[in-house]
Amino acid sequence: MNPSVASRTLRTVGAWVVVGIFFFPIYYWTSVAFKHGNAIFSRPPNLFNFTPTFDNFQKVFGISFGTGGVTVTPGGGNFYMAPRIWDSIVVATLSTLLAVVVATLAAYALSRIKFRGRHEFVNWVLSTRMMPPVAVAVPMFFIYKQFGLIDTFTGMVLIHGLMNLPLAVLLMKSFFDDIPVEIDESAIVDGASRFMIFRRIVLPMAKGGIAATAVLCFIFSWTEFLFALTLTTTSLKTVPVVSSTFVTSIGTAWGNMAALGAASIIPAFIFILLVQKHLVRGLTMGSLKQ
Amino acid sequence: MKDSIRKAYLASVTDRFVKGQMDRCSFLRAAGTLGLGAGALGMGLGARPFYGISRAQAQDQELKPNADVMKWLGDVGKPFAGTTLRLATESTPPSNAIATQLKPFFEQATGIKIEIEVLPLEQVLQKLTLDVASSLGTYDLYYIDQSWAANFSQDVFDPREQLKNTELAMPNYNIDDFLKPLVDGIAVYKDAMVGVPYDIPIFIMQYRKDIWDELKLPAPTTMEDLLNASKAITDAKGPTVYGTSGQMKSGHYSLECDWTAWLWGHGGSIFDADGKFCGNDEPGLAAMAYWDKLKATMPPGVDGWTWDGEGQSVAQGVAASMLSWGEFFPFFDDPKASKVSGLMEAIVPPKPTTTLRTVKETAFGEIPGVGHQGGSSLAVSKYSKAPDAAWVFMQWATCADTQALITVLGGGTGPTRKSVYDDPRVKANARVGAGTTRHLPVVRDTIANYMGSEPDLPAWAEISSDTIPVALGKYFAGQSGSAKETMDALKIQVDAIVAKG
Repeated sequence: MNPSVASRTLRTVGAWVVVGIFFFPIYYWTSVAFKHGNAIFSRPPNLFNFTPTFDNFQKVFGISFGTGGVTVTPGGGNFYMAPRIWDSIVVATLSTLLAVVVATLAAYALSRIKFRGRHEFVNWVLSTRMMPPVAVAVPMFFIYKQFGLIDTFTGMVLIHGLMNLPLAVLLMKSFFDDIPVEIDESAIVDGASRFMIFRRIVLPMAKGGIAATAVLCFIFSWTEFLFALTLTTTSLKTVPVVSSTFVTSIGTAWGNMAALGAASIIPAFIFILLVQKHLVRGLTMGSLKQ
Repeated sequence: MKDSIRKAYLASVTDRFVKGQMDRCSFLRAAGTLGLGAGALGMGLGARPFYGISRAQAQDQELKPNADVMKWLGDVGKPFAGTTLRLATESTPPSNAIATQLKPFFEQATGIKIEIEVLPLEQVLQKLTLDVASSLGTYDLYYIDQSWAANFSQDVFDPREQLKNTELAMPNYNIDDFLKPLVDGIAVYKDAMVGVPYDIPIFIMQYRKDIWDELKLPAPTTMEDLLNASKAITDAKGPTVYGTSGQMKSGHYSLECDWTAWLWGHGGSIFDADGKFCGNDEPGLAAMAYWDKLKATMPPGVDGWTWDGEGQSVAQGVAASMLSWGEFFPFFDDPKASKVSGLMEAIVPPKPTTTLRTVKETAFGEIPGVGHQGGSSLAVSKYSKAPDAAWVFMQWATCADTQALITVLGGGTGPTRKSVYDDPRVKANARVGAGTTRHLPVVRDTIANYMGSEPDLPAWAEISSDTIPVALGKYFAGQSGSAKETMDALKIQVDAIVAKG
């Protein structure tokens, strides 16, 4: 065989193997969502030859409470989770928007404007990123209770936005640093104001960076557990918190949990699809410093 | 025809009918062969929800709240209309039955809105601790595991005091109807009632009657029988089927629960009369030796499971028995959820090897008994902004009528009231199938005669959920020397924690 064909074939096979390894858990998890309870832990594991069922998805997304009927749920709690996915989407989207907007403005100022204590400010922003959330969860509970923010969208959006802000600022600063200062200077010579330069020149050039930052903020908010557990009670719950509802006193409702898990991948997947055009460029932006 | 074979055949026939693999005439013919009559048709009709009973059965049994109870709710609850009550609870059959099926009746009758937050047990403790520490009254009612009774005894109302308010007292609530061992073991701390018993997961012996019959083994009524039978099954059928299973996850409360059953069953106790840890004495070490031998007959990976994995191992036919929570039994009988529907039998826990220690020989209210109970109580929080409304809800949620509905709708969970065990609606579900109550006589017998209760002291939550299971986990992982060395080291730790107060 031609060496270049052989090496290409080997690369392709290797790539598919790596993809398979990364994709297999997602496939397995999704298949669990379509299995009856007695098929989930079969020995040996049954990956393909099983009778699929939509029962789990029905319970998680289409359950009827029926005051007169007998829709008995398993010892696994209220499994109607569709509103919880919506809660997660709202919190993740709004907190991402908040973090990206504020971080973009802050990062531009840190990148372009020389002021006293700039470096120390950047270090301080970095240090807040290293604070363990568990250290502030309880104080935040008291503060939130005082301000009536417990169990509210405002409260959750604020805390997730604040949580993601340091990372977003540092990322965006790195992307802005990658854009030559000379462009700003040329625009200044031409009479543009600082805000006009930011809005009309620098921001469009940093689209990739903004996309990459937004994706990271969205994922962090989507998967955040501690604050979502501590600062909510009954009205508002995100997917990571309600996933623990499937852990019951008589076992875990794995099928239902898998149904929720498989469905909750979709919003994050759609978000990444929407920004993927900018994502690749954004991921490599800031990697080369002039 | 052997009873076990009859049950297995019935379960498989029902399963095939539900899946549409058999028409109605064939099903009736098959059921008729078993002498079941047309009533068997109801078993296969309608939706077969996970753990539950079919619509046909439920409608036949008229599973609705009692009219007198509803009238009382309307009379007493209406002044509180518009109030919202919150409760954080573990995901247990009673809580789920109330949250998903019965709550609307209460809300309609009273206008009081009920919000129930369902969480794993550890998170419930976190939420309650935060609520008590802040005194903010986020939750109006507390779901209190029996191991937390000491921690929260000062933060809830004593229901006996609440019942003195005759304006809000439910007629025929009958607080004496709660099983006395449960009241003592779950809901009392230093003469104060910490709510009323709400649920009662309790260790009963559950085993595969078909395998026992096949190998001509005696029912596991003693510790020795259980060990010998487990060995025989593992030798004959391993590694496909193991003799027994366990809930031995390192560092998890489940491991402590398993330990107490063997400890008490060998005449030991956690604390001696002086309040000192004594799991390292002779009976304690005998229990560890027994447990070591029993573990050898369990599936590999058992030390990574809590009761969840233990239940699954039996449901999948990997383990032939377990001494564990009776709440699992209806799960085993559900053909959609398990592979052993109709094949399981329930009996009281194995007899101890020697005389049990008495309460006088232990401390902190510890009650030795192989049937480890993990019940919980329901209580009104002293920080609630609507304690009267919460008390109305609590009475309704724990009255006999609601408990009977919970037992049937919640999939055969054990009631905490005497009268509910004899309720016709509960007895009507004593058949093979999802939501069965056929194990409840065993549960009742275990509560009355074989129940064991953990000690009550403020440090117990830490000791039972962290100190003991971490030490035992290290022992089974081979990281802490011999059983004696492990238990001696554990004694030092536990005594230090207790001494701190």
